[in-house]
Amino acid sequence: MSNFRTFILALTASFGFPWLCLIIIPAIKYQALTPVAYDKDKDGVEGFYPPAPINRQGQLTYAREGCAQCHTQMIRPTQLSLDGWHKGWGQDQEARPAAPVRSNTLLDYLGEPYAFLGVQRLGPDLTNYGWRAPSRQEMHVMLYAPRQRHDWSNMPAFKNLYEVRLAQGPKSELALKLSKPFAPEVGYEVVPTPEAEALVDYLLSLKKDNPIPGITAAAVKK
Amino acid sequence: MQTTSSSADTDVQADNLRRAAIDKSVKGPVLFLFLNGAFWLMASTILGVLAALKLFAPSFLGDCPVLQYGRLQPTHLNALVYGWGVQAGLGVMLWIMARRSGQELKSGKSVLYVAGIFWNIAVTLGLLSILFGGSTSIEWLEMPKWVWPIMLAAFLCFAWPMTTMFARAFRPEGFMVSTWYILGACFWFPWIFVTANVALHCLPGLGAFGAGVNAWYVHAVIMLFFAPVAIGSAYYFIPKITGQPIASSQLAQMGFWALACLGGWTGMQHYMGGPLPAWMPAIGSLASVLLLVPVGVVGLNHHLTTLGKHHLVASSPTLRFTFLGALFYPISGVILALISNFTTGPTLQFTNAWYGFQIVAVYGFFSMSVFGAIYYIVPRLTGCEWLSVRLIRNHFWFSTYGIATVVITSLVAGVQQGGDLNHPEMWDQDFYQLVMNTQPYIIARAVAWGLITWSNIWFLVHLMLMVAGLGRRSSAPTLLHHGHDESSLPHGAHA
Repeated sequence: MSNFRTFILALTASFGFPWLCLIIIPAIKYQALTPVAYDKDKDGVEGFYPPAPINRQGQLTYAREGCAQCHTQMIRPTQLSLDGWHKGWGQDQEARPAAPVRSNTLLDYLGEPYAFLGVQRLGPDLTNYGWRAPSRQEMHVMLYAPRQRHDWSNMPAFKNLYEVRLAQGPKSELALKLSKPFAPEVGYEVVPTPEAEALVDYLLSLKKDNPIPGITAAAVKK
Repeated sequence: MQTTSSSADTDVQADNLRRAAIDKSVKGPVLFLFLNGAFWLMASTILGVLAALKLFAPSFLGDCPVLQYGRLQPTHLNALVYGWGVQAGLGVMLWIMARRSGQELKSGKSVLYVAGIFWNIAVTLGLLSILFGGSTSIEWLEMPKWVWPIMLAAFLCFAWPMTTMFARAFRPEGFMVSTWYILGACFWFPWIFVTANVALHCLPGLGAFGAGVNAWYVHAVIMLFFAPVAIGSAYYFIPKITGQPIASSQLAQMGFWALACLGGWTGMQHYMGGPLPAWMPAIGSLASVLLLVPVGVVGLNHHLTTLGKHHLVASSPTLRFTFLGALFYPISGVILALISNFTTGPTLQFTNAWYGFQIVAVYGFFSMSVFGAIYYIVPRLTGCEWLSVRLIRNHFWFSTYGIATVVITSLVAGVQQGGDLNHPEMWDQDFYQLVMNTQPYIIARAVAWGLITWSNIWFLVHLMLMVAGLGRRSSAPTLLHHGHDESSLPHGAHA
């Protein structure tokens, strides 16, 4: 390094090259991505891929509570892991589906400001949770009192998303069906706040295994 | 004869005066950064204990939303990275840069104070926001999006005087590897930080590519900020204490440029098998494994420089911490290669092994080196010596065993967890087995962070006493071992 300017130039070049190739150009290219239309003749379905965006309001709660610390949203291909064969992790809820759940593509997350692919997998993968989700009522119970269903669960209880209130008049149909020791005192009921409803809407909107135009769609049709 | 000896004396005296003047010029800002950093380090380790407990017993301390794992864990890591890591790193960088380039901090001391204060305000507000429901859930960038411009401005206020010092003292013939690394850190961190924040907070949404940018950010900060600061510090202190020149300048240059060229490519392999275009994880994996070359080269160079002086590791606190930190560099490199390649990577992906890597890099490697630097720098700034050998020893052993426990249990837990996740028998099972199998490791982690907290509380107290000027008044440094080898510490080690 003959002088200061050369040194700085070398620093810039050595880091700027990966920066440009790995971050800047792909980020610009990403802006051009748009939903792809299905071909009715070839794919057998109509509409667009991906069909509908996720529920953003609920995703904000998902981010705020740090759900991604323990739940992933990414199915890996079968050559790397057995994610695709896990029961119920795709649209097909059969015990032994004919084909594994497909791994995800960039377009699956189109329209999300940030995709929460996840930090660790301490709880089940949620990529296609919308397909296997129980009723809204049961989902609320799972969020409010995770250990009512599994006493070994290490999921936090998100009581801050629920309101415990004095039961007045006829019992609200939204009230959570809780058993001892999770039930509130007699005369009280637990109802979800709008945030909890949004979070459930978001979880229900997680269906990221739609057929890919020209690839899996045609295979499914056969 | 008479004249040469007296002129040598005058030279030494002039040198000492020059050093004292440099130390005096950076004293305030450096001590400010160290003290606040040590406070955040203690906060981070306490949060580490809590996070591990909450992962094991989610109802511990009630179901208060502020203390749920999903909020505590990011707060713990952000406090470690921005509260302690970057802050203490800046202190070490500023002092080494001033000393190594022989430049006093000419002006702008008050700007540095203001920048330091704003950095701490930003970190405080950012961490509180995470706890009280403002988390963005973007790894290492969980703080709300208005925080980063403040932090960037504060960082640049420190980076600028360092750059001018470097430029003034740049000598092509006298290659100074420690300041190269430190200038690199000054230069890369803002670049990476701006890129990631603008991409994730200001652009209209990058979807799954955003997750890739995030993974790149975390790896780039580790490889191009934490690693250079720690290596720079080791390259400065190992020759200084052992009194031997750096073994090979070719190896040093090679290690530097290989890191500079490879560091920016790492990261995307974090989401291997994911939605990113396949070449991105592939190239990330390639770069992470190739990083073993610069890591090995630097490790070899440090080893050769210490060769024959290993007894000093026992007596000098600085060399002991720096030696351990330097030892953790190859270990971090190997762990990175393990979690990044496509053979063992998919097993360790999405497991505790990732936490293990972050901790071994930021705590095992970076923080240990910085502790070594702090034990050297602070007595020179405050004019008094460390009070207690026992406290330093406590700090060393509790940190060493604590970090080793956190890292080893996280890795083993990762292997266990990854094996469970990919076990064919798991195909229709719930997560019962997985939760039960990881529990012992999480308990071990809580205990280990407890040990580290203990060491850090005493480190903070010790540092506070030093900054208050209550250290030992002595011309002899505090050594861990008062043996026959004390006199063999080279003269430079006291300067």
